[in-house]
Amino acid sequence: MSGADSHQRDDRSVSQPVIREALRPVLDPELDESIVDLGYIDEVVIEPTPSADRSAVTVRFTLPTAWCSPAFAWMMASDAHEAVSTLSGVETTEIILQDHMHEDEITTGINTGQPFEAVFPDADGGLEAVRASLDHKARLARQFDAVDALLKAGMTPGQIVSLTPSDITDSSGDRTHIYLQDGSFAVSAPTEPLTEYLEMANEEGCLTGDDEPLFRTPKGEPVSIEIFEQLHRRNRSAKVNVNGQGTVCEALNESRRKALGRSDD
Amino acid sequence: MYSHEGEDIFVIDGHIHMWDASEENVKSKGGEQFIECFYDYHTGFTPEDRQWTYDEYRAYDADRLKDDFFTNGVVDMGIFQPTHLKDFYHEGFNTFDRLGEMADTYPDRFIVNGRFDPRDGEEGMQELERQANVRDMKGVKVYTAEWKGESKGWRLDSDESYEFLEKCVELGVKNIHAHKGPTIRPLNRDAFDVADIDDAASTFPELNFVVEHVGLPRLDDFCWIAAQEPNVYGGLAVAAPLAVHRQEKFGEIMGELLFWLGEDRLLFGSDYALWNPDWLVETFLESELTPAQEAEYGVDFGLETKKKILGENAAELYDIDIEEQKRKLQNDDVSVEYGLESMYSNTVGGAVADD
Repeated sequence: MSGADSHQRDDRSVSQPVIREALRPVLDPELDESIVDLGYIDEVVIEPTPSADRSAVTVRFTLPTAWCSPAFAWMMASDAHEAVSTLSGVETTEIILQDHMHEDEITTGINTGQPFEAVFPDADGGLEAVRASLDHKARLARQFDAVDALLKAGMTPGQIVSLTPSDITDSSGDRTHIYLQDGSFAVSAPTEPLTEYLEMANEEGCLTGDDEPLFRTPKGEPVSIEIFEQLHRRNRSAKVNVNGQGTVCEALNESRRKALGRSDD
Repeated sequence: MYSHEGEDIFVIDGHIHMWDASEENVKSKGGEQFIECFYDYHTGFTPEDRQWTYDEYRAYDADRLKDDFFTNGVVDMGIFQPTHLKDFYHEGFNTFDRLGEMADTYPDRFIVNGRFDPRDGEEGMQELERQANVRDMKGVKVYTAEWKGESKGWRLDSDESYEFLEKCVELGVKNIHAHKGPTIRPLNRDAFDVADIDDAASTFPELNFVVEHVGLPRLDDFCWIAAQEPNVYGGLAVAAPLAVHRQEKFGEIMGELLFWLGEDRLLFGSDYALWNPDWLVETFLESELTPAQEAEYGVDFGLETKKKILGENAAELYDIDIEEQKRKLQNDDVSVEYGLESMYSNTVGGAVADD
């Protein structure tokens, strides 16, 4: 082994919590939830490298079933690779997908920097199209949460459809103040559903400017007051879908981890 | 027949199987992974004291099925949905002909649906005709996400599929059960797509399209399509067992389904042996929406609604007159073997609940 002593290693910027925090923004694209919170990560290994101040990081993860969509598995592995490899104290990154029907193709493909289409030439449509359709679903579900929060804060449908991104910039921590009627009064709403919505709406690319409407129909058009109610109900079903599917995956994940002997408890 | 709050509830389990995933029958790694995945679904949503062992689960026979259905008399009838999967299992997984033996033995208890795959071409068309001739077939199960050679699946709204659907109309096969949901080898996101139901349902208004697993993970798309197509139904297989440990999520899903489809277009299914109807029916009957969910959705999930979902809606689709059927079942072999005769007399029956 190298001569790196334990003191040096402790000084490195890379640690278990640092890696897990870096992985936290990586989402299961179908469930719109962090792969760390979903319990997919089996193991993070940090080892020294010959360049004394940088580490070799290996992350092993398992999905709820052996045939979770290879496209989704690829996105998670690829996002995880990017999240870890861009940390300053990381020299090399290896992401290992375990117990999946395409574990070898995905693990090798990701770690050697190949594109999805090269590894799975028979998949219809590119990865970006899949990602875009999942982002779209996630945006609808997040729009439900954001609009729901605004309705609960006392805003009317008419006020909500008139909002623009620049109306929701005044946030102090947990609450955001939205000024109505030329700033004559403000409504206070929880910040999180609003920023989470904005993030995904930007990801999807349905917003057209800071002073253009904030909320959008599935096709990306501004929401008229006439369709507000029905649209809100449709978005509610997108939310229930993502919750329902999340529940199914959570139960499968628990069962599978027990069967594989990787249960936390 | 189950008795709940003083009322008889005629239960038709709309989605059942009798499969063989024994080691001898497994043909490929996919076959092994497939049954492993089923078993995870089973253990994930089954009360601990009702779970099967993995060996029991791989393959079970007609006696086991019969005991599970009729020992406590909760289920009255079941509809078999075949799943051939010949790429995975030498003799197939859950085949039309094997299921047929069960229906021949207990003709008033089981209905066997056929299946078709338009990629089988002319041969497939002949097979569909054969199936329809073997029995008075009113339904088929279709599995659009099934892999076949180079193909990763097919669409219900394709020209080839329409030829088969036309044949169904001609043969009097009027219920098309489409497996949309948890799927095998979904290399492409589109394996889950429910959009093809939309065109097929408007092109064939004389057929009923039952979307199994209510399209999860495309519940929202499914609800939207079903809201506009009156001949689209939802099969509750997979959704119903959420009532075991995830009551709140189950309530949300029921709220959505009742809001968009109403109480006349939903069918209960245990997906047996994924789950056992003997406890699942009870769990379903005892489930409720929270007051907040009732207020949010403005729907009724009371006993009358549950009775429709558990049996009356399926009876409608399969031309079963429930009162007449009770008379047939009163003295059939199953009733005699399990001592169920008194349940089917005119008085309130009273299946013995587990507790």
